[in-house]
Amino acid sequence: MPALDIAQEQEGYLTPEAMTEVAHALNLDPGYVEGVATFYSLFHLEPVGKHRMYICTNLACMLRGAYDILAHANHAIGVAETGEVSSDELFSTEEVECLGACEYAPMMRLDHAYHYDLTPEKIDALVAERRQGKRTKHRG
Amino acid sequence: MAELRGSHGKARHHLLTQHFGAAGLATLKGYQKLGGYDTLEKALAMEPKALVDEVKASGLRGRGGAGFATGVKWGFMPPPDGGPRYVVVNADESEPGTSKDRYIIENSPHMVLEGILIAAFAVQSHQAWIYIRGEYDRPYRMLMDAIGELREAKILGPKPFGKDYPLDIQMYRGHGAYICGEETALLESLEGKRAQPRSRPPYPAVKGAWARPTLLNNIETLATVPWIIKHGAAEYTKFGTEKNRGTRLLSVSGNVRKPGVYEIEIGVPFTHVIMELAGGPFEGRQIKAFWPGGSSAKVLPASRMDVTTDAEALAAADSMAGSGGCMVADNSACMVETTYRLLKFYAYESCGKCTPCRVGGNWAVRTVAKILAGEGSRLDLQILDKIQAGLQDGRCLCGLGDSAGWVVQSAMNHFPEEFEEHAVRHTCSVKRERAAASA
Repeated sequence: MPALDIAQEQEGYLTPEAMTEVAHALNLDPGYVEGVATFYSLFHLEPVGKHRMYICTNLACMLRGAYDILAHANHAIGVAETGEVSSDELFSTEEVECLGACEYAPMMRLDHAYHYDLTPEKIDALVAERRQGKRTKHRG
Repeated sequence: MAELRGSHGKARHHLLTQHFGAAGLATLKGYQKLGGYDTLEKALAMEPKALVDEVKASGLRGRGGAGFATGVKWGFMPPPDGGPRYVVVNADESEPGTSKDRYIIENSPHMVLEGILIAAFAVQSHQAWIYIRGEYDRPYRMLMDAIGELREAKILGPKPFGKDYPLDIQMYRGHGAYICGEETALLESLEGKRAQPRSRPPYPAVKGAWARPTLLNNIETLATVPWIIKHGAAEYTKFGTEKNRGTRLLSVSGNVRKPGVYEIEIGVPFTHVIMELAGGPFEGRQIKAFWPGGSSAKVLPASRMDVTTDAEALAAADSMAGSGGCMVADNSACMVETTYRLLKFYAYESCGKCTPCRVGGNWAVRTVAKILAGEGSRLDLQILDKIQAGLQDGRCLCGLGDSAGWVVQSAMNHFPEEFEEHAVRHTCSVKRERAAASA
């Protein structure tokens, strides 16, 4: 799995070629490697936005309005559906299960950090900051 | 860092959270200034068996969810045979509503590490692994930094505190799979495979990581160990109930004024936790239901907030203490919707290895979706009842299937009228009330 991590860092998602390469490097069957990759939600097999918003909608967050936050995030990055990549390829959203920061609900993970007590305004600010290119380093 | 929401010191029963919030606590220097690692030094001078006995005598029970007696689990480790044996720490905290392990790590990573090292010595292991969920970036970095400090200080290495007993801790990051909280699935994942639970026996104590004897404990469990060894089991047993000793951390979330991670003495009632610590409901709202121990614990109606926080009382109320994730819903929540959301979780996280869980979870989701859409009937309620029963009582390989069954069973049991009105009359009174309130 650490090897798949390194492979994913390159394109932002795992291409079939990348998985085959990992398989060869570790002397494993490519099908086995793909099997592992498809099992875990943090491995992406499709292209994702450079800044991926992992928005928790599980119960603790849902009770505090997570679905409104998700809808607002999709609106803010200009996509019709969760999972779509924005036209500038900068953003995508994902509905995820509990991220273990329930006392700060609703919350999300973005660029390897947690963002707490989300409001539509906070989402707008985070998106604007990244559109201006202040944060370009991360992919995750 | 975000504002600390939860216990940090002050009260007599704040054993773990005593120093939380102290400046520099996350650093080795800051932790040592408050007596940190003195207990490890003391432990290394003791007989390993004496440590196991002390933990046994303390009555400490696992804080991951199952609540198994920690000392007894340590005692299951076979005698050393010269080969490797491991301590694997479960930091995969993924149970919905549970954030206490994150709270502990972010406040005092060294307290966790000290507990791990004491446990490793007690079960005669030289190598510990921390399996941490991949989404925990900050806790991961904090633990990595703390481990780095320990290596530099030679507390990790061939001779910790001059004793000829090599100790090391490695970290492994998960990649997003709830099932990894299940201990044998976690081991599969640690070995780089799909995280599908193993059949037991053999238990991990006999054949665990890489088929070697392995002790698996939760973060909070191990973080409690230094206090017990420092103050003695007799002191620890002064807290809690007779069968459920000590204190524990409850993560309280949902429709309350002050969500947070609170350290409580086991045995206090949920009225204290929800109405006092967490500040009770918002203005003009009433508490309707609560999940006392993570989403896998059966939901209880607000009228049962008198139940106490010990495992026995919760079992008697037909729920469980679980992971200590207490989620609270008020009267703006529709119980069919909450059931639907939790079922989606269990269906999505099913590893697919055993049939009842793989098929039953999705079937339940489809059935509730139909009911929610106003297309259900009484027959669907009967089907749902059949599905939940089919998921329970040992029909599944691990607890995930049972949990999905419990979600349905407990919600239908305590809130039958809500399921009735959705399925038969195709209306939702909660939604109507919500609309009326906002109009």
